[in-house]
Amino acid sequence: MKLTSIALSAALLSFTLAPTQIMAHHSNVAYEVTKVLTITGVVKEFKWSNPHTWIGIIVDDGKGNKVEWAMEGRAPGVLSRAGWSKASVQAGDSVTIDYSPSKDGSRTGIIARVTKADGSILANAPPGD
Amino acid sequence: MMTKHIALALVLTTLPITLRAQANATPPDFSGVYYPLNPFGRGGGVPRPVAKPGEPPPKPIQSAPLSDGSQGRAPGAPSLTPEYMAKWQMISKSRIAGSYEYDYAAKCLPPGMPGMMSMLYGMEVMQTKEKITFFSEDIDALRRVYLDGRKPSQKVLDDPTYAGYSTGHWEGDTLVVDTVSLHPQSFIEGFSPHSDAMTVHERIRFTAPDVFEDQITVNDPKALTKPWQTTKQYKRAGPGKDELREFACAEGLSENVK
Repeated sequence: MKLTSIALSAALLSFTLAPTQIMAHHSNVAYEVTKVLTITGVVKEFKWSNPHTWIGIIVDDGKGNKVEWAMEGRAPGVLSRAGWSKASVQAGDSVTIDYSPSKDGSRTGIIARVTKADGSILANAPPGD
Repeated sequence: MMTKHIALALVLTTLPITLRAQANATPPDFSGVYYPLNPFGRGGGVPRPVAKPGEPPPKPIQSAPLSDGSQGRAPGAPSLTPEYMAKWQMISKSRIAGSYEYDYAAKCLPPGMPGMMSMLYGMEVMQTKEKITFFSEDIDALRRVYLDGRKPSQKVLDDPTYAGYSTGHWEGDTLVVDTVSLHPQSFIEGFSPHSDAMTVHERIRFTAPDVFEDQITVNDPKALTKPWQTTKQYKRAGPGKDELREFACAEGLSENVK
């Protein structure tokens, strides 16, 4: 009984920590772009890649579980002009992300802006754009 | 004295002609890196809250342009024939559902013409006497405009491409470009579809120092009830902003197929 419960817990843990959110989207159409929500977590991975960048974050779901979210950002070229660099976000950083949720209800979003622990803001568009 | 006056008059009357001749002899140089000037209005089509002085920047109210047609067709959108309007509605339904089926950008396909001249991204212009090359930061898309008088061959006309086949000539300081042989798997603007009969006519000229406009006219007897026109403006970048980064779209696409 105890073993079963340990196995079950392990299974649940591995499920919740597994990279279930594939960083696969590449389009505004996947998201409810006119709705902006806020989420806070710890960065697991920052992919400075084309066509779009991605931030994988581990978030406390409020029920004692750590869940992974995948947040899609704009292209490195555009974000460079908005003040980002490849090193702007790093694994282990605490970040707050304003994002639009996906239409399919998966744990993905499109980034409106990122606020780092020191209060600095990374916008998703160059100033004046 | 009289002779002097006549000579002066002659100089004055011929001066504009001389200047015009010089302008024709040396067309303007469009070389450089450009960014769109107020693309789709301020904010790139995304409404942004106004920051109050002394307060932290307000939370965004929208993350990206709405591009699924859920608010209907934009004012000034191309006037589609019933057949192509039905296609637009079908694509809109797909996009509202969050599908990528008709989202060519999500498949890393080039924006094509005239889409690549209407981008939110940067653009690099490379110019020689015989050819002008437009390089879009979006998907590293490229188009060549031949200025040496050549015409598209039948082989080219039978082989449509995303950028199409462009030939141009100078009318004074204006570059006049005609583009044919366009692949139908791209959009006129937004996601308005077009046929393989689409042609694009452009008049490109400087309207201010370092600012050029591109007057675009799209003809498509199958998809449009009348020609569609739009004007885009680009501003040449100064030092520090005049380098475009590589856009290797397949990098992300390969992640998608894992």
